[in-house]
Formats: sequence, structure tokens, C-alpha cells
Amino acid sequence: MENEKLVDGVESLNEKLQEIRAAQAKFATYTQEQVDAIFKAAALAANHARIPLAKMAVEETGMGIVEDKVIKNNYAAEHIYNAYRNTKTCGVIEEDPQYGVTKIAEPIGVIAAVIPTTNPTSTAIFKSLLALKTRNGIIFSPHPRAKKCTIAAAKIVLEAAVKAGAPEGIIGWIDIPSLEMTNMVMKEADIILATGGPGMVKSAYSSGTPALGVGAGNASAVIDNSADILNAVNSILHSKTFDNGMICATEQTIIAHKDVYDAVKTELIRRGAYFLNPEEADKLRNTMLINGALNAKIVGQKPYKIAQLAGFSVPKDVKVLVGEAESTDVDEAFAHEKLTTILGMYKAESFEDAMEKAEQLLFNAGGLGHTSSLWIDNTSKEGREKLMMFSDRLKTCRILVNTPSSLGGIGDLYNFKFAPSLTLGCGSWGGNSVSENVGVKHLLNIKTVAERRENMLWFRTPQKVYFKKGCLPVALDELKNVMGKKRAFLVTDEFLYKNGFTKVITDKLDEMGIAYTVFADVQPDPTLESAQKGADAMRKFEPDCIIALGGGSAMDAGKIMWVLYEHPEADFLDMAMRFIDIRKRVYTFPKMGEKAYFIAIPTSSGTGSEVTPFAVITDQETGQKYPLADYELLPNMAIIDTDLMMSAPKGLTSASGIDAMTHALEAYASVMATDYTDGLAIRAMQLIFEYLPTAYNDGTNVIAREKMANASTLAGMAFANAFLGICHSMAHKLGAYHHLPHGVANALLITDIMRFNACERPVKMGTFSQYQYPHALERYVECAKACGVTGADNQEIFENFIQKLEDLKTAIGIKKTIKDYGVDEQTFLDSLDKMSEDAFDDQCTGANPRFPLISEIKALYLKAYYGE
Amino acid sequence: MEEQNVLEKRPKKVIYRDGEYAVKSFDPDYSKSDVLNEALNQARVEETGLPIPKLVDVRKNGEKWEIVMEYIPGKTLKQIITEEPEREEEILSQFVDIQLMIHQHTAPLLNKLQDKMKRKICETKLDATTRYDLHTRLQSMPKHNKVCHGDLGLGDVILTDDGTFYIIDWAHATQGNASADAARTYLKFSLTYGKERAEKYLSIFCKKSDTAKQYVQRWLPIVAASQSVKGHEEESDLLLKWVDVVEYE
Repeated sequence: MENEKLVDGVESLNEKLQEIRAAQAKFATYTQEQVDAIFKAAALAANHARIPLAKMAVEETGMGIVEDKVIKNNYAAEHIYNAYRNTKTCGVIEEDPQYGVTKIAEPIGVIAAVIPTTNPTSTAIFKSLLALKTRNGIIFSPHPRAKKCTIAAAKIVLEAAVKAGAPEGIIGWIDIPSLEMTNMVMKEADIILATGGPGMVKSAYSSGTPALGVGAGNASAVIDNSADILNAVNSILHSKTFDNGMICATEQTIIAHKDVYDAVKTELIRRGAYFLNPEEADKLRNTMLINGALNAKIVGQKPYKIAQLAGFSVPKDVKVLVGEAESTDVDEAFAHEKLTTILGMYKAESFEDAMEKAEQLLFNAGGLGHTSSLWIDNTSKEGREKLMMFSDRLKTCRILVNTPSSLGGIGDLYNFKFAPSLTLGCGSWGGNSVSENVGVKHLLNIKTVAERRENMLWFRTPQKVYFKKGCLPVALDELKNVMGKKRAFLVTDEFLYKNGFTKVITDKLDEMGIAYTVFADVQPDPTLESAQKGADAMRKFEPDCIIALGGGSAMDAGKIMWVLYEHPEADFLDMAMRFIDIRKRVYTFPKMGEKAYFIAIPTSSGTGSEVTPFAVITDQETGQKYPLADYELLPNMAIIDTDLMMSAPKGLTSASGIDAMTHALEAYASVMATDYTDGLAIRAMQLIFEYLPTAYNDGTNVIAREKMANASTLAGMAFANAFLGICHSMAHKLGAYHHLPHGVANALLITDIMRFNACERPVKMGTFSQYQYPHALERYVECAKACGVTGADNQEIFENFIQKLEDLKTAIGIKKTIKDYGVDEQTFLDSLDKMSEDAFDDQCTGANPRFPLISEIKALYLKAYYGE
Repeated sequence: MEEQNVLEKRPKKVIYRDGEYAVKSFDPDYSKSDVLNEALNQARVEETGLPIPKLVDVRKNGEKWEIVMEYIPGKTLKQIITEEPEREEEILSQFVDIQLMIHQHTAPLLNKLQDKMKRKICETKLDATTRYDLHTRLQSMPKHNKVCHGDLGLGDVILTDDGTFYIIDWAHATQGNASADAARTYLKFSLTYGKERAEKYLSIFCKKSDTAKQYVQRWLPIVAASQSVKGHEEESDLLLKWVDVVEYE
């Protein structure tokens, strides 16, 4: 099977490329079984031809050794086959039904293969086999000096492949190579596999076609004083003489530790190396390099011939010429890659000096990114440390240990997890796109089919939630009788402390014989400074139990003191970092509860902090608020005792009650709402509608107070898991900028925001796998129906629900607008841009069903300010 | 043309003085396009503002084409270095400064150095494999657009009595990579003065231009191949040796 028409010009090359393309299109439909049969047949045929091909290569190029080229051909056929015989390269190669990910391998198309003169036949076998295994077509651009043997190798593989069923013409080649044709092949192909000199690789990279190119080698063999000299020297000689030194990973210099330098030298001489005297060394330097470039006449030659060229003589059986050198500069010829049977040799003062020299050689004389080798006692601790140092330091993509580098670098001969290849990537250091040994994976396009999956969700709540009017002392009983706590730290505010709210707790602690101390200095909007003070007191007192009693401020302050007490090193800026997914956040919250058990006891009905993983703290110096969110902040126990809430004033009852309502409404509309949180949110809404007006009007009504206490905690559990929305984002900033009570701020915004969310055609919807389409309206209607609201259609039900909320607000004395609360118009307008941007960036925004634009937030603020 | 007015005789051309002008007179068989190209090169370089003799006329004098330009009185650096060899270091340094100054200019319409080298490689008598390697090497070299004299030697810089200098002989000017221009000069020095002065020149050039020596050296096989086209028998050994190298694999 010949190229039917000689490929010797642009026209015939075009035809050939079309032919390969057509063959490849057919090949792309083959199954893995068909491909594997072809791969096997081709590998066998190439191996059968290993001797004639080796002979041809030596004859044509005048370089190298037949026997070694036989091994290289054999290796290219056998080890490549063996490495990839069971590798899936066709169609579905990986499937994960649980995660919904499928990987599909597809061929790339036509590979342009540039072949070097040093390893022509083995590289041609290697590349054709990779192409066949990956269902790619391949066209060879041989070097003119090695075109006959390259083409012969390609032809043998092609014939066997076609016989085994591959499409005719799947492998092609240029018969009469020219740079123009090589350029055309590289331009027209789908990927370039370029092995060869830097000029060719550079051309490949600049052709505009994706290219896998490789770089020049210049391996040093560092021999440490702990090395096994016998093994090292003989392995290096074996490696260096292989094919007269033409494998790019071959050792170019030996850097021997001074302790073993003489021993290395003696052994080298004993085994056939020839040490050049200074005069011969200079002669060789002048012959070896011409203007810094390698003399073509010495490549792949035996020492005898090289010496002749340089003008001196050595015995015919000399294996390697060794030039002792000191300088690692570019001007030192022995520092360079020689691609022949010449070795440079350096004496190192220390291991450090040896590494320094190896590094210098790479930087000064080339070979960055390719290969380096180390001879060392890698069984000792010290040896392993040196190996790590060496590996860290040298910028080569292959670091071979106690291994002859030529045969070791191509993989699978001295290490069996190291991929076999005749194209060795040198990474960015060598100007390459790959740093590995090139294999089938580099010649495939892998498609990832990703099916939509929904996020795992959760329901988390304090381990113990105790509730009932008068339950506080009963619940605290566990501290002694179940947990055996000894020291309690009570956090509360001054008002509660002075008015005897803590007494029922301290009495119980006294009764149980638990030592305690009271920190009663919590202010509204607790500051970092006050939390720090509390934490200092804790460190002195060393409690094994913290009891936070109060509204949101006292419970939040308690949580922060708890963090500072257990983890004084914690950074609030990190902890408060905004996240998209609480389970994927960068920061790992420190483990809580190792020093103290945390109990939260609310005295108002609204915040829900007793069951939430949230806490807000303000930096008094910058005014910055740190909203912290992590389930580590969940109290261990929540105690809801209506007795503590009976005396709450009207304003507090109203503001905290409506806060609880917005918790329930936002948790229900949240993109993270689940069946688990929905039930809690609905029940909370029902209770609030029914009992908040009564609790507001008649604070002594025990049932109303108790129902409101429960509603608040239920809503807390809902939003502890489903999170909130932009009503809270905006209320946080409104409260902070204009000092409105948090509940009031929410009340002023909630209905406008419900309308905003209920829009059936929002500018942007929230991003969450579970959230498939804008459905906030339906969700609000569900709430409405559960709260007894009716109407002709969803829109009417929704409007009636809004009205019901407005009525509730009126009933509990909430004014209509922000303006009504005395916020100065100019001050408000001045702050509007910044406030809107801050609200957009609030942690609560992410769970909102409608993703807001900053301009939309601004409009909502304005509406809430003026009421229209 | 009076014999006493002849300034320089070269193969196929004579340069003589005609009052305030220097006239380059070409033999009748000299390619017309080469003459015009040289004049055009000179005009283009003149327009960059570099100190060169102004082009005055291009004319036919009987059978001969002539390029007429300003006459610049003075000595070439080559004359000075021959008379005062102890000033070698200083003169080479000044020479490199002048070359680097040329490289700072651009002239977008000048021929491209890459194209010229490519053509020259094709014209050599080297075997196909060597030409393939040379083409590959050339293609991988960065393509710049600096003005390159293309044949700059010490004889091409005239120093006048008042200390100003002029650069002459723009027949080979192109735009391209300055290191190729330096490689050309290195080759010229090697052929004219030998290795020692060539090395001195190169190390000064590399130091002043902050260029790696290897980078200039990578051009040497190409400029050597280009030079071989001239067919000077006595240069052939050196040029062939310079060309017969391989790139690392």
C-alpha cells in the first residue's frame, strides 16, 4: 500500500489530507472492540518489523546503533500496547449516575506528526499507535534526513491496521518533505504532535493549531556521597551509550560529590570511559560546538570517530569520552546537550553545590523542564530529605532516582507507574503545553455530560429545645443531673438583671451548687469591645456552661463571647465573609463547644436567635457589622419560657412579633425552602396572625404570649435552615443607617418586597439548582391559603394576603412609611446609594427567590420611604 | 571619471568623487533592479533621519547606472583602527553604539530580513536536508521590524573632522531582527579580521544591547548560508562548518 500518488507538493498534500479526513470520519464511528483489535494488530506488525526498521534508520541517518534502535522499536510497539490495551478511548469512558456525570471520549481528527532524525522509526510507531487507539487520522512529516525509514514504519503500521479493519488511508505521510509542506500539514491538522528540535516545536506552536510540542533535554546525573557507585556508574554508562546517546533524556553531565568523585572516576575508567586530558578536552570543545550550536557530524557517533574529528585518537572500544569541567556557563561546551557519547563531569563540594550546579546547567546551557537524575541512598532518612530538596529545587518534569535516565525517562522500564512515551513534555519551563510523558489522553477530546442534580439540604436545630410556661428551672436541672456542669457564666443586659429576670436562674444554680458569674453589660447592637470584655471575664472564670438570657442582642453577644472564649485567635473578617453556599465557603468555622455548653433563653418573641446559627456583632471603631453564620453557632439548648415574656412592652411585642412574621414569610419564599421548613413557617404565620394582636393589646394574656413565643422559635427554626431574603438584607441596612428597630424596618419593607418577589417575569431569578422557575407568587398563595385567605384566583388571593398583613401591621401600631418614623428625607436620600449597594451585598440576598439589581433595591427603598 | 577621484573600487562597481558628491557607478551588466533597490533603500533609510549621505540622483551615465549622493569627507572607522590599533576597544564600542542606534529606527517599507534570508537559503548549493534545517531555524526566529544595515562593518562608518559620523552603503538594508544584523557583522568581522576581533565585537554588542550571546549565535548558520551564496571560494570552509550544526532534540 503506497501513497497512491506521491505527496510531493501542495496539491498532492491537499488530496492526501482530504483522504485522511474522510478515513478518520469513518474511523470515528468505530467501537472500542474494533479499535482495540486494530491497535493490537498494528502493534504486532510494528514489532515484527523492529529489525529491518532499525537497520534502515541507522543506514539512512548515519547515526546510532542498530541493536539499540531494535529495542526502541520493540519498546514503542510493546510498551505502548501494554500500557493502553485496556484503556477506554471510545465513547463513554466514565459514568457516575449518582452525580449525573458521564465522560465521553472522542477523537480529535487529524494529527500532524513531526518526526525527529534521532528516533525516527520508534517515534513513528509510537505516534501511529496512539493515533489508532484514539480513532484519529495521522499524517507524518518526516525529516528529510530520515524520511525513508519514517515512511517505512508508518506504512507497516498502516497496512496492519487496514488489514485489521481500519479505514484505508487513515495514516499518511509526505513523501518529499519541505518546510512549506510541513507548515501546511501543521496548519491544516487538528492537533500537532511535534517531537524534534526547538525550531520545529516553535513552528508548531506558532502554526495556530493546538500543539503538543516537547523541548530539549540536558540531564545531569547528580551522584551523592551516599550513592551506590557501582550501580550509578554502570547505569549511567549503559544509559549514555544507548543508541550512541541520542535519547533526549540521556545524561549529559555527571555531577559527583567530592567524597566519591575519585571512586566514580575509577569505576568509569574501569568500565570503558575515556577521560580526556586538557589538550584533548579543548580540541573536543572546539569540535563539539560551533558558535554555540551542536556540530551535526558528532551526533549519535562512537567516541573513536568523534576523537578523530577532533584531531586525536582513542582506542576503538572506548565507550564514552569524559571531559572534566568546572564552569557551568554557556561557554563551556561540556555543559551542553551533546546527543552523542560525550559526558561532562563536575566535582561538587557538597550536595548543595551539586544541586546548584545541576540548576545552573539547566539555566545556562538548556534543558529546562526536561529531565534530571539523582543517585542517592534513598532508603535513609537523610537520603529522603535530600531527594525532597532535589525534587523541590530542579525545574525538570522528570526527576529520576537511581535510574539510567535515557531508558528511565521514556517510562515503564525502570518504574512501572511512569507512562511509556517517546514524546516527553517539558512543561512551561521548556516552552511546552504538557509536562507529562505524552499518551492517549492528550489526543482525545473528552466531553463531560453533566445532568442537573439538586443540592443536598439539611435540617439542623439545637439538640434540645425546651418550652412551656415556667419550664426554665426544670430545663436547667439537667445542667447538674445529666451533664454535671460546675461553672456557669450568665450573659444578659442590665435591664433584665436589675429587674430580677436572672433570679430564677441564679436561684436554680445556687440550689444545684453550680458556681456562676453574671455579665450584665450587653448593649443593644452589641459591640466587639463588649463581647471581648465578656470573653475576658469568661477566660478568668472558666465556665463549662454559658447561659445567654435576653433578646437578640444578649443571645448574639453570648454567642460571640462563646467564640472568643473558645477561639481567641478567630478572625471576624474571615468568619463574616460572604458566601454563596454555606457548605462550600472558604473559611472553616472553628469547632465550638469544647470548653462550654451554650444555652439560649429568649425574653422576647421575635429574633429566633435561640435556635439559629446566626449572630451579628458590630466593630465599635469602624461601625462595621459582622454577620456570622455557621451551624457551629447553634446553641446546644434553647429554653422558651413564657414567664420571661409576660412583661414585654408594647413596642417590643409589636416589633419582635412582626420580625418573626417576616422570618416565616422569607423562609417560605426562599429558594432553599424545604418541606421541613415549610411546615414550621406556615404554623408560625398562623399563630402570629391569630395571637400577635392580642399579645400586643393585652400583654397579660398568657395564651397569646405563649403562642407568640412558640411562633417566634418555629420561624427561627425555619429560617435557620431555609435562610431569609432581601427584606432582611434591606432591613439590616435600613436599621443600621437610620436607627430603626429591626422589626419595624422589616415591617416597613415586607409587603413591597413580596410584590417584588411575586413578579412572574423578574429581571433575574435566584440561582439555586432546586429553584427551577420564578414561583414566589405560588408560594405566597400557599401561605395565604394556610392562613385562611381566599380569592377568585392566585392574584386576588395574593392581594388579599398583602391586605391581611397590612391589617396586622396596623393592628399592632406599625406606621406606614419610613418617613413616618421621622427619618430625615435628605439624610435618607444621601445614604440611599450606599445603603442599596450594601443591602445587595448582604448575606440574606442569596436565598431570595428574585435576584435583585441594585437599582431595584433602591426603588424599593424609595417606595418604603414615601409609601408610593 | 578621473583616476585620482576614485574613492574605492569594488567588484562590478566604482565609487568616485565628483565635487561635493560621491558617485557609485555600476558596471553595465549590473542588475538594474539591484541599483534601483539600493537607491530606494538609501532613500528610505535617509527618511528615518539616520545620519547618512543624502541621495541626490539616480542616473544613467552612458551604459552605466550611477547613484549620486553627498560626499562625506573623513576617515572610516576601519582606517582609524588600522592606523591606531591601540584604540580598538574604544572604536568597537562606538561602532556598537552606532549599530544600536540604527536598530532603534523603523522603516516599514524596507524589504523584510526574513524574506531575504529565506530567498538566500534557497539560492545556496547546500543539500536539501541542510536547507530544510536552515528554513526551520529561520522560521522559528522572532520577526522584528528594526532597520538593519545588513552588512555593517567598520568601513561603513565615516567619522568627519568635527566628530560627527555617517553610515554608508545601504545596499543590503532590510527591516528585521537586530540579532541577525549583529550575526551578519560578526561573520563579516570573522572573515575580515579573524575570530578575536569578532568575539570582542559580539561581547560588546551583547552587553550593550542586553542580548544573550546564544540568541545572536542562533542566527549564525543562517547568515553563513546567506554569505555562501556569494561563492567566495576562500570562505567556503568556514561557512560550511558554521552551517553544519543541529538543533537540540
